[in-house]
Amino acid sequence: MERYDLIVIGAGPSGLSAGIEAAKAGASVIIFDENEKPGGQLFKQIHKFFGSKEHRAKVRGFNIGYQLLKEADEAGAKVELLATVLGIYQDKEVVVKIKDGIKHYKADSIIVATGAAENMVPFKGWTLPGVIGAGAAQTMLNLHGILPGKKVLMLGSGNVGLVVSYQLKQCGCDVVALVDAAPRIGGYGVHAAKISRMGIPFYLPYTIKKVEGTDHVTGVTIAKLDPSFKFIEGTEMHFDVDTVCVAVGLSPMSQLLKMAGCKMEDNPRKGGQVPIIDEHGQTSIPGIFAAGDVSGIEEASSAMIEGRQAGIYAANYLGYIEDELMKEKEDELDKALDGLRQGMFAPSNRGKKIEKTEEGIDISNNLLAKGFVADEEIERFPGVVHKLGIHPVMECTQNIPCNPCQDACPKKCIKIGSKITSLPAVDESVDCIGCGMCVASCPGQAIFLVNENVGEGMAEITLPYEIYPLPEVGEKGIALSRAGHPLCIAEVIKVRTGLAFDKTAVLTIRVPKEFAMKARFYKNEKLAKSV
Amino acid sequence: MEVRIKEHPILGEVKKGRLVKFTHDGQVFEGYEGEPIAVALKAAGVLVHRYTEKKHSPRGVFCAIGRCTDCVMIVNGEPNIRTCVTPLKEGMTVDTQYGTSDEPFVKELKEAK
Amino acid sequence: MHELVDRSLKDEEFEEREDDDMLICRCEEITKGEIRRAVHDGMYTMAEIRRYLRCTMGLCQGQTCAKLVKGIVAKELGVSPDKLEPATSRSPMRPTEMYIIANEEK
Repeated sequence: MERYDLIVIGAGPSGLSAGIEAAKAGASVIIFDENEKPGGQLFKQIHKFFGSKEHRAKVRGFNIGYQLLKEADEAGAKVELLATVLGIYQDKEVVVKIKDGIKHYKADSIIVATGAAENMVPFKGWTLPGVIGAGAAQTMLNLHGILPGKKVLMLGSGNVGLVVSYQLKQCGCDVVALVDAAPRIGGYGVHAAKISRMGIPFYLPYTIKKVEGTDHVTGVTIAKLDPSFKFIEGTEMHFDVDTVCVAVGLSPMSQLLKMAGCKMEDNPRKGGQVPIIDEHGQTSIPGIFAAGDVSGIEEASSAMIEGRQAGIYAANYLGYIEDELMKEKEDELDKALDGLRQGMFAPSNRGKKIEKTEEGIDISNNLLAKGFVADEEIERFPGVVHKLGIHPVMECTQNIPCNPCQDACPKKCIKIGSKITSLPAVDESVDCIGCGMCVASCPGQAIFLVNENVGEGMAEITLPYEIYPLPEVGEKGIALSRAGHPLCIAEVIKVRTGLAFDKTAVLTIRVPKEFAMKARFYKNEKLAKSV
Repeated sequence: MEVRIKEHPILGEVKKGRLVKFTHDGQVFEGYEGEPIAVALKAAGVLVHRYTEKKHSPRGVFCAIGRCTDCVMIVNGEPNIRTCVTPLKEGMTVDTQYGTSDEPFVKELKEAK
Repeated sequence: MHELVDRSLKDEEFEEREDDDMLICRCEEITKGEIRRAVHDGMYTMAEIRRYLRCTMGLCQGQTCAKLVKGIVAKELGVSPDKLEPATSRSPMRPTEMYIIANEEK
């Protein structure tokens, strides 16, 4: 038996954050994780995070993972990998499987940060090899460098479905369709717009009728649903695919807490069975805390803050932090967490249809139904202006807690203000220098630089680009619309890849000026033939 | 079908261990040491990992993180090994699992094997 | 859960449906029809269903299907799924071979 002040279960974003705070306060901390590598899902999250500076916005998930590991190491929190917690027993005894044996540990406090598991939905053929979870696709692509398939259909339009579709496309997979049984896209509009302009069509409200194949997937049939979720005859569509990816939400992995005897509740708004916790994340058992997705499904950014809070509360429970200092840190973290829980995707808005932005502008219905803002809708948003010379066009049309663009602009021509969810607006009195920092900093890839008239009837558009091979200056390809439809020939004028852009190439294309406000993606012709 | 990513636009060059040989149902394949067995099989074009006990239906990788246990196979003679989280080693024998055995259920399948 | 102990709640005849052959529990290969029938056989709680059919008791320990099974049982009983208590959580949380359990550090 080994004794620690605090045992943390799960070395994902919240568990690591919890361990770091408690260890910094002086507690002896061990963090168990059943996986070979720490970081939970962070090392699969290769997109730039939303939020503001204190939420590590615009930093890619896997880099946040490295930062947390370093912090844990410096704080002296021990991370034990391939260590599966099999049970929590009376008086905070934790039984762990390590290698081929069983070890017993004891602590005065436990933080459970076991995260979530993927939900599944059954359909005909869902057990065939080739039907996989979206998490599996992410694991194969980003951890193991292998494509899950060549032609993929994605089921589920939440952020996971949208982000994984993008990641598949980034690696050269053909995502033939994104399908959701709901009538509206569930995830961020900017994530949807990003894949829509790459040519992925959205089908809503559709779902899978059957997956075909004898030994593995060879095709899939989808069909439209009526309001009572019944298939509408005659709406069937068939796709030849080798992979079907399922991204239909997450459920808290809370079984350990239930086993420990914590009071539980079934809370659909939190994603299922969760422990009942107080404002300090403490469960009904004094000294046992829960943090991150296990206490309610949210983003990794929130999980990290909840983890820090739990670490601080546990340190206070253990006597390492005075009440006053705890209160001080608590206020700061509460503010950061509140910031993330604002806007139209806030937990309190789950399931509601939001008609207008906080600014009173009508939400784009086309974005919710088809994945892109229609040409006639885009002009009403404050980030979209027309002026002489190069200027930013910010197609950010939903209130989400995110503001890196405001800090990215060295000339301060982008204004969000103190409310982190406000839509970015262009300060037209300041001249844009075309540096591209805002383009690369936007986690939603919603910022473009447009020069509507460069002479000879042409316009130039600067856009974010994250696909290999990068286009070469001088080559010609096709400009795509927000819907991913080919518009015209585009010439590549500039390809910038500065370190500050963090792997987002900033591409400038030249198109006839009537397409200045329409062309939003570039497809090189070589690629055009193969895809 | 080339399914291995050589260079990823965000993650850069994909780093792997050394190339090692292993067998799948008697056939020799190559994969990278330390990567999950399932990944090496995927690169070799093997999608069916097992056939289920009751309905004899094919299964392959489903969750890829060791939770769902759909990808289990007989590895070095031991059944129920989660190939998505078990690292590949030189000389491993990886066999299709039928129920919990390496013996195909019916004559036709035996012949195919 | 107490309100579900009323065994008269569900006394209609079992009616076959088109999607009864849909596999729900991937490990133990239990279909939707079997789960629905189990409710008509008098299994009203998740613990009873689990012991009666073995669904959620396979290698994955219900990781994939527990929520699906719960949904089907709740629908058959005509109650909201949050009224059904999940089955007991027990150690070991993950499938563990007996020789490992026996290899306990003193």
